[in-house]
Amino acid sequence: MKTLIKKVVETFGPSGREDSIREIIKKEIEPFVDSLAVDTMGNLHAVKKGAGARVMVAAHMDEIGFVVTHIDKMGFLRISPVGGVAPVRCLYQRVLLDNGVKGVIGVEPVKNNNEIDFSKLYVDIGAKDEDEARSLAGEGRFGAFLNEMTELNDLIAAKSLDDRIGCVVAIEAARRLKKSPNEIHFVFTVQEEVGLRGARAAAFRIEPELGIALDVTGTGDTPESAKMPMKLRNGVAIKIKDSSLLVPKKVKEFFMAVAERNKIRHQPEILTFGGTDAGAINLSKSGILAGCLSIPTRYIHSVSETASLSDIEETVKLLVKILECDVKKELALE
Amino acid sequence: MKTEDMLKALTEAPGISGSEEDVAHLLRNYFARLTDEAFIDKFNNVIGIKKGTSSAGKVMMAAHIDQIGFLVHTFEEGGFIRIAPIGGHDPRVLPGQSVIIYGKEIIRGVIGTTPPHLQKSGDTGKVTALEELYVDTGLKEEDVKARLRIGDPVLFDNVCTRMAGGYYSAAAMDNRAGVLVLLETLRILKGLKHQWDVYMVGTVQEEVGTRGGALTAYEIKPDVGIAIDVTFGDFPGIPDRQTSKLGGGGAVAVGPNFHPQLTERLIALAQDWEIPFQKEFNPRPGGTDAVSMQIAARGVPMVQVSIPLRYMHTTVETLDLQDIRRAGRLLALFAAHIDEIHGEVVG
Repeated sequence: MKTLIKKVVETFGPSGREDSIREIIKKEIEPFVDSLAVDTMGNLHAVKKGAGARVMVAAHMDEIGFVVTHIDKMGFLRISPVGGVAPVRCLYQRVLLDNGVKGVIGVEPVKNNNEIDFSKLYVDIGAKDEDEARSLAGEGRFGAFLNEMTELNDLIAAKSLDDRIGCVVAIEAARRLKKSPNEIHFVFTVQEEVGLRGARAAAFRIEPELGIALDVTGTGDTPESAKMPMKLRNGVAIKIKDSSLLVPKKVKEFFMAVAERNKIRHQPEILTFGGTDAGAINLSKSGILAGCLSIPTRYIHSVSETASLSDIEETVKLLVKILECDVKKELALE
Repeated sequence: MKTEDMLKALTEAPGISGSEEDVAHLLRNYFARLTDEAFIDKFNNVIGIKKGTSSAGKVMMAAHIDQIGFLVHTFEEGGFIRIAPIGGHDPRVLPGQSVIIYGKEIIRGVIGTTPPHLQKSGDTGKVTALEELYVDTGLKEEDVKARLRIGDPVLFDNVCTRMAGGYYSAAAMDNRAGVLVLLETLRILKGLKHQWDVYMVGTVQEEVGTRGGALTAYEIKPDVGIAIDVTFGDFPGIPDRQTSKLGGGGAVAVGPNFHPQLTERLIALAQDWEIPFQKEFNPRPGGTDAVSMQIAARGVPMVQVSIPLRYMHTTVETLDLQDIRRAGRLLALFAAHIDEIHGEVVG
């Protein structure tokens, strides 16, 4: 699974420019599903047939990034964020543009770090002047961070674990899942980072009876961190709430019961900010039961998002066990 | 059942956003006596349908049944519990409150605070952030962990009180007052003829983003929608233009997301029948189910009536019961005439 994680997290794909990552995921999941389709928004639908409940498993393949808004006289690119990018986390990072050009992010001199915002940042692509910069990268190019996955003891650090790690969990679950009574739609969604957009359209298309998002969640296990119950190495986090979703009781209890029954290490997740595709699925049409399995992750929205391999493994296990259940029966659906 | 008794029962029934089961069942039972069909959907929205004589159209009246509260968030050393907010809280009014935790069992607690004697100089009068507050149940750390779970709802201990002047105060008046308007409307509608089907909906999760209203409006697809909520009552220190008067009748909303002609006709009806009412100006859409109902499915023309309420989002939300009766009467008349009004102004 580590090789797959490395390949998937290191691929380019900011919101709205998910083509490369979609091609990689398509190849990886193809052997394990009955059909593949790409919808008008760019979501990838990988379906395992079944006669039971329609279950939508959503992992977003987009990552945070930026768009080039103009090129200054000296040949530096000025940028605007795509998704929740903190300006200070951009400093001196290496970036990749959608045409393969690389750059580093610099900052104008400031007296105080609080003054750093996107108007002070620029991308240096090594251009001699404005004309050369323009020939290498014009306005409207999208960019994303570059970083290699690193192992830290039993943890991994990489860019875009949010939410490529969810994508890997979905692929791995599709591979391991041999028999399921449900019709399972693994959906690799677009544009989550700019407002849960792909999942909403996909949910309208599928009209699932249950939605399960796979995503990362924050932790309260670093020095002076905000108080949160989630910790690395404590297993898969079963969401109770975030800003986008109050998980319906029967969904939450179903997930917890499956984890208990199969002795899968799990922890409850309460997030007082943020949202996931599960929130968008929940509010589609006249409402869809939805929940979320989260991978506890430190330093979210940085180039060194850090998670535990054991938590990732527990997430795959729980997802497989949930999907093996007769969802219609478990949730008492007609 | 008397209106006062229903107000007490409704406000005291627990129903934090996302766990509205108790108040939903209570409302379903009330609806069952007054409608042709009453049920609870998979999200705990409560729907009561009163069939009209022609069933040529649908009018949906929505009042949210959920209330703000907290969830058990983390366990601290010594058995103290940190809480996470559900809905919009004012941290100034939290220390010193009694709370009830609705876990596997009901456990009482208090939100603690530093006594004035021990406050550092300069800290007096400072507001403690919600993240820094804790609930004390008196249980030992191991018992707290055994008997409670992360995510268990925490609500203010709530008693509905009749005040000296005849006003009522309680937590969760926002929006059980609106729910009571639905019941008043139905009570009066029993004696009136109406052509259209009337869908009475107690919606969930309004306090976390007007969710239940969006979902039920998508499902019902009404021809006309009415949101019923509470609005800021008058009290010292706030200019009159920002508030509505207790005892002045329901506040009819005027603003970009309300249908202008339907709103005018609602006001005309109040004038014709000499039902006290007031106008409320909402220049920016938001804050009630109307905001999401309006853009559900292919769109719904909306009006809104609100009950003036003092001290919103505290344990002493205060109102005048007369305003609920008046709003109910007005909305019953509106429902009885909605077929002709809709024909004339929406078409």
